Parts: sequence; structure tokens; C-alpha cells
Amino acid sequence: MKYFLPTPWFLLLAIVPASAAIDFEKEVKPILANHCYKCHGEKKQKGDLRLDSPALILKGGDSGEPIFLAGQSAQSHLIKLVSRVDPDDAMPPEGKGDPLNEVQVETLRNWIDEGAEIPGSENLVDLKMTTDHWSFQAVKREGFADKTIDDLVTEKRVEKDLTPSPRADRRTLIRRLYLVLHGMPPTEAQVAGFLADKSSEDEAWRKLVDRTLASPRYGERVGRQWLDVVRFAESNGFETNRERPNAYHFRDFVIASFNEDKPYDQFVREQIAGDALGAEVGTGFLVAGSYDIVKSPDINLTLKQRQDELTDMVNTTGTAFLGLTIGCAKCHNHKFDPISQKDFYEFQAVFAGVGYGDRPLKKIMSEELKVEAAHLRLELAAHTTALEDFRNKVAAKAGEIAANLRAPVNATLNVEEFGVIEAKFVRFTIRETSSGYPCLDELMIFDSKGQNVAPGAIPTASGTLAGYPIHQLEHINDGLVGNDHSWICDQTSGWVQLEFAEPRDIGRIEWARDRDGQVVDRIATHYIIESSLDGTTWSILASSDDRQPFQGKLDPMAFLAKLSAADAEAAREVLAKITSKKTRLNSLETGLPAWIGNFSQPGKTFRLYRGDPMAKREEVAPDALEVMGTLGMAIDEAEQQRRVKVADWIANRENPLTARVMANRLWQFTFGTGIVDTPSDLGVNGTKPTHPELLDWLAVEFMENGWSCKDLLRLMLTSETFQQSSQPRPEAAKIDAGARYLWRFPPRRLEAEAIRDSILAVCGTLNLEITDGPGFYLLNVDRENVVHYSPKKITGPEEWRRMIYMVKIRQEQDSVFGAFDCPDGNQITPKRSRSTTPLQALNLFNSPFVIQQADKLIERLAGDPAKAFAILYGRPATAAEIADSTSFITEYGLQAFCRAMLNTSELLFIF
Amino acid sequence: MIPKNHFIDRRHFLSHTASGFGSVALASLLARDGLLGAEKKIRESAPGKFPIRPEIDAGNPNAPRLSHFEPRAKQVLMIFCSGAVSQIDTFDYKPELIKYDGKPMPGGENLITFQGEQGNLTRSPWEFKPRGQSGKMISDLVPRLGDLADEMCFLHAMTGKTNTHGPGENFMCTGFTLDGFPSAGSWMTYALGSAAEDLPAYVAIPDVRGTPQSSGNCWGPGFLPAAFQGTDFNAAKPVRNLAIPGGITTRTDAATRAFLQRQNHRHLAGVPGDSELAARIASYQLAAKMQMSIPEVTDLSSEPAHILRDYGVDESGSKIKDLRASYGRNCILARRLIEKGVRFVQLFNGAYQTGGEGVSNWDGHKSIEKQYNVHGPVLDQPTAALLKDMKARGLLEDTLVVFATEFGRMPTFQKGASGRDHNPDGFTAWLAGAGVKAPFTYGATDAFGHKAVEKVTTVYDFYATILHILGLDHERLSFYHNGIERRLTDVHGHVIKEILA
Repeated sequence: MKYFLPTPWFLLLAIVPASAAIDFEKEVKPILANHCYKCHGEKKQKGDLRLDSPALILKGGDSGEPIFLAGQSAQSHLIKLVSRVDPDDAMPPEGKGDPLNEVQVETLRNWIDEGAEIPGSENLVDLKMTTDHWSFQAVKREGFADKTIDDLVTEKRVEKDLTPSPRADRRTLIRRLYLVLHGMPPTEAQVAGFLADKSSEDEAWRKLVDRTLASPRYGERVGRQWLDVVRFAESNGFETNRERPNAYHFRDFVIASFNEDKPYDQFVREQIAGDALGAEVGTGFLVAGSYDIVKSPDINLTLKQRQDELTDMVNTTGTAFLGLTIGCAKCHNHKFDPISQKDFYEFQAVFAGVGYGDRPLKKIMSEELKVEAAHLRLELAAHTTALEDFRNKVAAKAGEIAANLRAPVNATLNVEEFGVIEAKFVRFTIRETSSGYPCLDELMIFDSKGQNVAPGAIPTASGTLAGYPIHQLEHINDGLVGNDHSWICDQTSGWVQLEFAEPRDIGRIEWARDRDGQVVDRIATHYIIESSLDGTTWSILASSDDRQPFQGKLDPMAFLAKLSAADAEAAREVLAKITSKKTRLNSLETGLPAWIGNFSQPGKTFRLYRGDPMAKREEVAPDALEVMGTLGMAIDEAEQQRRVKVADWIANRENPLTARVMANRLWQFTFGTGIVDTPSDLGVNGTKPTHPELLDWLAVEFMENGWSCKDLLRLMLTSETFQQSSQPRPEAAKIDAGARYLWRFPPRRLEAEAIRDSILAVCGTLNLEITDGPGFYLLNVDRENVVHYSPKKITGPEEWRRMIYMVKIRQEQDSVFGAFDCPDGNQITPKRSRSTTPLQALNLFNSPFVIQQADKLIERLAGDPAKAFAILYGRPATAAEIADSTSFITEYGLQAFCRAMLNTSELLFIF
Repeated sequence: MIPKNHFIDRRHFLSHTASGFGSVALASLLARDGLLGAEKKIRESAPGKFPIRPEIDAGNPNAPRLSHFEPRAKQVLMIFCSGAVSQIDTFDYKPELIKYDGKPMPGGENLITFQGEQGNLTRSPWEFKPRGQSGKMISDLVPRLGDLADEMCFLHAMTGKTNTHGPGENFMCTGFTLDGFPSAGSWMTYALGSAAEDLPAYVAIPDVRGTPQSSGNCWGPGFLPAAFQGTDFNAAKPVRNLAIPGGITTRTDAATRAFLQRQNHRHLAGVPGDSELAARIASYQLAAKMQMSIPEVTDLSSEPAHILRDYGVDESGSKIKDLRASYGRNCILARRLIEKGVRFVQLFNGAYQTGGEGVSNWDGHKSIEKQYNVHGPVLDQPTAALLKDMKARGLLEDTLVVFATEFGRMPTFQKGASGRDHNPDGFTAWLAGAGVKAPFTYGATDAFGHKAVEKVTTVYDFYATILHILGLDHERLSFYHNGIERRLTDVHGHVIKEILA
């Protein structure tokens, strides 16, 4: 490491008189040429930076950091680097060139402070991000719109010197169709029905495709792929890994969306901004990723955790809908794609107000029900008054209500009236709470005209609980109410204070725990509110001393015992009515809690140097990617609007990526591999489409046909390409082993879930009675602070549901099927890997699950081994199979036979 | 066996990039239609730095593979202490802490660490003594490990990126703080396969008290194919689904497998040349071998009495003795797996939090002396015995031993407590065995053992070096996932040449 000795100031002055204007050409350029051009010039552009032209200096490099900020040398990146403040972040790097001397650094400093003029840069227009990468170009099929999938596949096949395979037989086809679309083989009856269909091949096939697409089993199958893409799981991950018992709503939303063939553009919008579209469950997408709930007073950690959360939302939105790895631009400009670091943070600002957690689902009420709800509220008010009368009777009798005692504190609103007083400081001291650390959502201070003057005053507090973006000191007077904009103390007692710029007259204070009425804990029960002009002498404005004691923790029914028998009975009747009416009202108004996140107006978003939350740079406004235009949002755009606008930008026919990405996913769903085989990366680092015209043809078809996934799939499934035999042909395999050019239907092994579902289906144990709703567990759960999981040993009908309904716990795979390349939801998985391991063999051969299912299969065979071939494979057994099976069963019994059959490859593969 | 000259040259690599019909299964994952953008760009700008993709046989994905260059070690044994071992109570001797015991840490007044505010600097409750020929100062908490100081290469200036356990263990085991990245052992088996034919290539041995805090992340394959995941079992808990199911005789079991293979062969005959189907048939053969070899390797009854005594597994009857015996059995198992050629063995000491903070692992926040007086003896004797035993058997010739933990602890006690808070700014790891200098000390923390100040060693450097010792270029061992050529070392890491033997 090299450091410079400080140069005496007079020496500097002597050499670089402060008054001299620096000439870029004569003084700055030579320094850059001698020390920088070697790596940032014509020959090499390390970090994508070139310093030998005005335009490129202004463009900067991959770091996303402007080279200089005119007039601010101290904040300028160039100066930080060349003055070698951080030896690990110094230029030229050690060993790569001579460091600048102090005089040279000073020259650069002065040049920047003088405005950093670069001759030749005056007429430069803004450097716009552009790209000629295929996926960013408009989707068009002019010139080949009237072709078919088969035409376009054939063209490529011919180019590669390949010939197609003949049509597969009906047995193969129905099996393939069911395994692709449902993830389970067809039943014997379904096979028989298809074989018996007397219509033409095409007609019979078309009807079968329609029936299969119409089945709810389709949504359960295709939904699984989508849940992989959006890294859905039902626990928080990290070391606590607690469950999210209300996350299943999103899983059901995905399945239902596919089953009802919701237009894909709507499906996209609902996931980003469903709360604005009457489909609030959709936003489960935003918060489906892992979430570190271990909080700390260490602010570095808190900021980093939040940054990780937002990065996950940006990354998943980018990859899932756009096939763009926007997340790669967090620390520097994207290495391959036209995405700047600024783009990343602008996109991040779109999600900055999204928080993790449950939210009660709103119910959509008919007009009739709205009337009922209004009635219920009126009735409840009347009953409550009646009940109060009973309570007062008791209180009066006991002499407890002195005329001057005020009502007890409550969670939703407390009003403190006092004579008008001049104050510069108002302090709210909490001595005791109903539970936990005290929380106030907003402290409102009204002047004599009834104006809330608290916003703008400076808040201070004895302490603020760290680590919760929704609980901040600034929230105490930010004008926003509710738990999401509240302040929490870091002790059970403490104070919060507001200081006005100037003393002013005040006459009333309002405070609450949660004016939205959602949260009722942490209420200040013993408190004192004081004011001061100088911050030292305080006068009491109000306190809890003149209030009735807070009853929250006591038995609210205790008063019944003190009433006369008749009164008590009457009061009980009133209570019963209140309970039933409240229940009814709740059931009308609020639904179940769901892990779909919560939203609040976010603070500022800054670009972060190297992605470090402690290295904030300029503030950015929410926006889409520059290369595709701007949405023109305000820097403080309303939270929901940010998401609505970005959702509209994505789910748009003008967006070149959205339709291509989904058409490609559906192709992958059908044929096993996408036209682009990096399905969440259509950027420069992804692979090129094998059939570019086909992809565009499909994308246009998709959009022109109302973004219908089922219709697009129907086109693929009814193509000749899909109906080809999968038989291998050595001469074709030599040219194209993976059958990417579709000279046959490419066979593949089923995924973990489909293997399990298929076993259940063929053994006759699949439970289709319960589909949506809370999932089932294949793990035992030991709920400490940190949750531990262990595999369930015994399973029964409750667990014999389709595996998509299994509660998916991060890090903890199912002990049998997890080994079949099943992702755990920690990372997005646009494409499953497919490996073959001895652990899979052990699991399938020895697990209690398979043995139990084998016993169930015995019951279905009625002693006839041939039936196993019909049920499992959808075909008659060969003579050799019958002979081998019969002699094997004779010696080892049916259980051994069934156990073996459930392990066979023919059951596990799509051919 | 691994051929002697077992590094891959470029020509060899290039001649194997085309995938034949015989390797559809994994090849479909790994070989692509043309190069990825990254690969193209890297090849154009820096020839020689493009990713080296292992050539994987779908039928035997863990067959031994060539390293990138001549390796210094062939196997790795990682001892991972969950909960964050305090460096200043074990291996990082700080005399200034004795001098300043009970005084505030200069500059630490406003320091907020994981659980909050700091109390005063506090000396270690355990004496430090010079050990071995080298005279390395090591505490009385781990005296037997201290006796082996001459075998160790200490990295005292390790730094992490997070001060919470989950992300910390993720970082130390996978190179990323987030969940879902491939573990170091998965990377190594992906690159190299294994010489142990009948055993998993990569074995994780969890503590008998449970899994570490990041659980399966520590040995998970992340986005690598499942073939490269660690198989978790220990001396007390067998591999799941390994045993023949109850009520089924060995004879029936074997006949059933034979029938299954016949049926699979009949099926394969109809689709000749399908390597994925062939791979499934092979996997059942390998599984059958494992059914023999895993019980054999976990059966410690053949170990002589002196070995049991050395590892401390012959004593029971107190909490410490029982725990030590359980951990000792896992240590013996680790040695047996290394003997059989398993590529990566990951031995855990400490489990998730249970029974209170720091009770079941090294997370000594509130009463470090009491808790470490359990953890120290449990770790010390068996681990020391393991190292000695491996040395005696010549296993250290080819095996790199790695001692790691997620981060360090503060030289202060926490305000109002008798324990130390998390400290990712300076902690100790050590290496021993093949490929590293010993006795050797690399890097240092400041006077109190708080921050790494000299030869700061990131987790990236740590793994760049370990991969280098295995003959792997950490910049070229990569796997494409969602737009990025992912590496164990992300985009960082330098091989620490000074510590190489």
C-alpha cells in the first residue's frame, strides 16, 4: 500500500495557484492519458469505462457512479479513487500504473470545483441507453403470420437436416397429454374412452385436449411451474424459518387463475398491484420470498436486510415477467444487458413501500350485504350504549365513577383538551402500557384554530425500537396514522417529544395506538403529557391520573356479577346480541388473514454505491427501465400508483419481453425445454432462441388472442410436432441429441411432485376431496423461537393430496421426493434440474410411503398382475412381462411386485 | 482411483464439450445450444478465464473427475462450529485484553452490535499458554487442540458480512448470506466427483443435538443438480430410507430389486440408448451397494478400545461426557468416511438454538463461561483425537482439514451480561493437513481481537484458497443460474498464496 505524505499547504499554493483556471486539454487530459488510458482507453475498457472521449467520460463505467460531480470535488468518484482514500478502491490499482501525485490530484480537484468543463461536451445530448439485442425488439410476425407452429418447426428441422417422427399411437399420446397437463397418468377408463373414440384422429385428439385443459388438475400442474418461477414457499427461511400459515391463499390464486384461464396480462397486473384491482391475494407474489425476521439494533444489519428484501422483489419481478436479470445491476451497471445501476434503484423504488406480513382479506359485498352491514353497525351502537348503562349502574353503585373521572384510555383515539397554552416543546411520557413497549401511531397537536400543527415539528424520543421500517420516530408526526406509520419505544417506559420551530398556542392533543383499529396492544395506560417553552421547565397538560383505570387486562364481564339478577340477565342478552352481530359483521367485512404483504408510503430511495446501503448516492424516482422509456413518476409518487404503473408497463402489448417470456414458459411446460432454454433470462447472457420466428409467432398469437394460456397451449398440443413419436433415431440423435429441433417428442422424467401424485393416483389413494385452503404437512413441526422440522413417518389420506398442496417449508425437503431435484423456494427456479441419484432410488424403494402405497395397489389388482400394467402404464402387459410377474409373485408375493412396479422408469417418464 | 496426472488441460476440456447421445440427462442441463453470453464475452476479453464445465456422466454423476490443475489435496474435512466460536477465548491470544479488562473499549462507546450496547472489555476466563514447538498461545478451553498447534495454519483475520447466524452460516457454507445457494461441498463434488464408489460423494454429519442453524442450507445443492447435495447422517441417525423396510426379508428385497431391474431393462430395450433410463438402472445398483457400505462405515464396533478412549466415546454419565461421546462417535465416522475416499465431509459441532441461547451451540451471549465450559471439552478431545488419528494413518497427506464457524465474538461483554455479542469483523479459522503451511499464522486482529486489521481474509479468499488447494480455479468453477455464472466466491476472492505448503 502506498500513501502520500501530506504536502505543506504553502507548497501547494505555490504550485497550483487557486485562481488559475484549469485547462482540460492541457492539464487534465495528460494526467488521464498517462495514468488511466492504459486500462480505460482505446484498447481496453476495464469496468466498461473509457476516458478518452468527452461523451464516454460523461457516460462513466459499470460502477454506475458518475466520474465527477461538477463543483463538488470532495464528493466526486474520480477524486476518491485517485487520492487513494480506500486502498482497496484506489486508481490506478496497485501494480497497474503509477499513482497520481498530490499536485496532479489537486489539479483534478480544482478542475472539478471549477465546473469540470470538457471542451467538446457542450453539444452532447443525453446519452441514451440503447440495445440491438433481439428480445428488446418489437414482437412481430409480419411475413409469417399465416404459418403454423408445425411450419416453423419444420423449417428449422429442415435446416438442420432432420426429419420428423411419425405420429405416436393413441395410448402413448393420451398418456403424454395427461402427464404433461395434469402431472398424473390417465385412468384406465380415460384410456379406454380415447381408444374407443371413433372420430378422426385429429377430431378425437382435439376433444381430448379440450377435456384435459378443462380439468382443475391442469391448474394444479401448470401452477407448480409458476410457483417455482416466483420462489413461493410457506416459511420465512433463514435460521428461524417460521411457517407462514396464511401463504396458501396465493397458491390457490395461482391455481385458480390458470384454471379459469385468466388473461395473462391481468394475472401479471394482479401480482404486482392486485390491491388496486380487486384481487389483493395477487400481491402474495411480492412477498413470497424468504424474509429474515431476526432483527437487531444494529442499523447496518437492518438496512442490509431491507435491501435484500427489495432486491428479491426487483429480481423476481424482472425474471418472472420480463426474463431480465435486473437484480444483476444492484452493485454496478448490468454486465450484459442495457440496465444501469440507476435503473435498478428506480425499479426498487417501485417496491419500496412493500412490507412483509399478513393482511386480512377484504370481502367484496353485494349491495344487499352493504345494507345489512350498515344496519348491523347501527344495532351494535345501540346495544353498546345499553351495555354501557349496565356498566355505569355497577360503577355508580360502587361509587367508582367520580363525576370528573374520564373514560379509560383506548387504542383508537384519545383526546386531551386543555386551555390554550403557549408551548415550544410537547413531551409525552409513558410510564406503563397494556403490554410490551409503548406504541403511538401519531401525536396530533391542535392550535386554537383546530389545525394539527405537529407535522414539521422535530421529534425526539428516549429511544426507538430498531429494525422495523413501519415503526420510526418520524412517524410520530408524519401525518399518517395506523400501525404501519407508528413509533415504538425501545423500553416499556419512555418518552417522545415534539419541538416546534417557534413557540405556538396549542389547545388540544389527540393520540392513539392505532387509529385504523387493527392493533390493540402496547397502549399507553399510565402517561403524562407536558409542555415547555424552554425545554427545562415543564407544565402538565394532561395525564392518565384523571382517567378511569384501563380495563383491557381485566375481565370485562366482571360487572355482571355485581348486577341484580334481572339486570344481569338483561345485560347477558345484550352481550349475546353484540357477540352475534359483531361476528356477523366481521364475517361480512373481513376475510381470513393472508400473507400478501402490506403497503405504506415509502421514504426516499437512493442509488447505492456498490449496492452498499451505507453508501447512499443521489435520490431516484420510481421508474421502469430507461431503455424502454420512462413512466414519468414523481419522486414521491403514491405507493400504490408506483406498482400500478409498472404493472401496466409490463402487462402491455408494447412491451417486447412479457409475451415472449410467457410463451416460452408455456413451450417449456409442453415440450420440456423452452425455445430459449434460459427461461428467466432473455437478456444477452441467456441463450438464443432455437426458433426465433416461432417464439415471436407464439408471442403475437398469445397477445392477439387475449393472453389466453389455454388457447396457446391448445395450439401447441394439437400440433403435429407434439404428437410425434418419442422413439429415438440414432441418425437424428447424432445431430441433435436433446431434440431441441423436435425431430421427436423429447422424453423426460417427471418432477418430484408429479411422481408422488402419480403414485397416489395409480394406487387409488389420491385425495381430491380437499384441494384449496390450508396445506398439509409432510413434516412434524417443533415450534420454538427457531422452528425445527422432522419428516412425518406415517401418512394418511390427509397427506395423500396433490403435492402442490403440501406446506412448502424452505430448507426442509420432503424426505422421499425432495431428492428428485425439488427446489425449496429459496431461489427462483425457472427450470428444474434433472439428476439421477442413488438417494432417489433408496427413497423410492424403501420409504414407508412407497411400501404403504404398494399395499394399497394390491387391493386394486384383485390378484391380477396384468392389471398393474394397465393402471400404471396404460397398456396391456406383454407375454414376457406376464410370465416374469406371475412367477415373481408366486415366490415373493404381491407386495414385492407392487413395490417394484412403483419404482419402474415407465411410470416416472413422459414418452 | 484418480490417475496420477489428473488435471485437465484446455485441449482435453475442449475436446469433451460436445455431448454425445449417451449423456442426455445432465448434458441437457449443462451443454447448451451455443455459448452463453457471459462465456462468449469472457472468452473474447480474457482467454483462459472462461468457465470450465465438468463433464458429468449421467449414469454416475459422482464419478471422479479431473481437477483444473495439479491439486495439493484430494479430500476435505470441514469441522463447523455452529453458533460462532469466540476467537478470543480459544485461538486468538490478546494480552491487551488482560491489561484493559473491565475498561471500556476505546471507540466502542456508541458501538451497537447484534444485541445492542457494549459493556466493558473482558479478558478471557481461560488462561492462554504457549503450545507445541511453535509456542502458539492457545487457551485452556481447548488444550488438546492446543497440543496440535504445530499442525495448524491459523487465519486470524477472517471477516464476515453479517452478524446474524442464519445468514452467517449461509455465508460460511455457501459464500452467500441469502438462502438457496450451493454449499461449498456441493461445488467441490460438482467439480470433482468422488473416489468413494459405494458412498455418497459428500457427507454432512450433523451434531446429535440437531442440525446447524441454517439447517440443510449448509449442505444443500442450491441450484446445482440434486446429485451434488450432501447426504446427512451421523453415528446415531442413519441415512433415511437406507434400511430394508420392516417385514421384508433380505432375500425378498434382493429379488424385488432384480425384478425391478428386469422390468426396467425391458422398458429400456424399447427406447434403446436412452441414458437417463440407463442412469436410473445404475442408480439402483449403487443404492444397493450403499445399503451395504453405509451401515459398514457407520458401524464403529470394529474400532479398537484405544481409539474409543482417545476420542472420548468410552465415557458417559454426565452431560459433558455424553455429549462428548456422541460428538466423538461422529468424529470417528468422519475419519472412516475420509478413509473411504468421500470427497467432502462436513462435521458439525453445535446445533440450532434449543433450550435457550448458547445452550446447544457456541452462541455465548449471556453466560459464556458456563456454556463454553460445556462446549470446550465436548469439542476439544474428540477433534484433537481425530486430527492425531488422521495423521497417524497418513490421511493428512491428501486431506485438507478446515475448522470454521460463522463469525467471531466481541472482546467486550454485552451490557449487563456475562457473554459476548456477535462479531463478523474479526474471527479465526484454521486449516491443517494437505496443502497448507503449518505451524503458520496468517493475519491478525487489532489489540483487543475486535477487528481484522492485518492480512484481512474474506470468506471469498478462504474458499478461493481451499478450491486452489483442490486444484480448482475459483474463477472458472461456475454454474449458470438465472443470468449469472455463479461461483462459490461470487465475484471476489484471492488465493492466499502465503499459506500454501
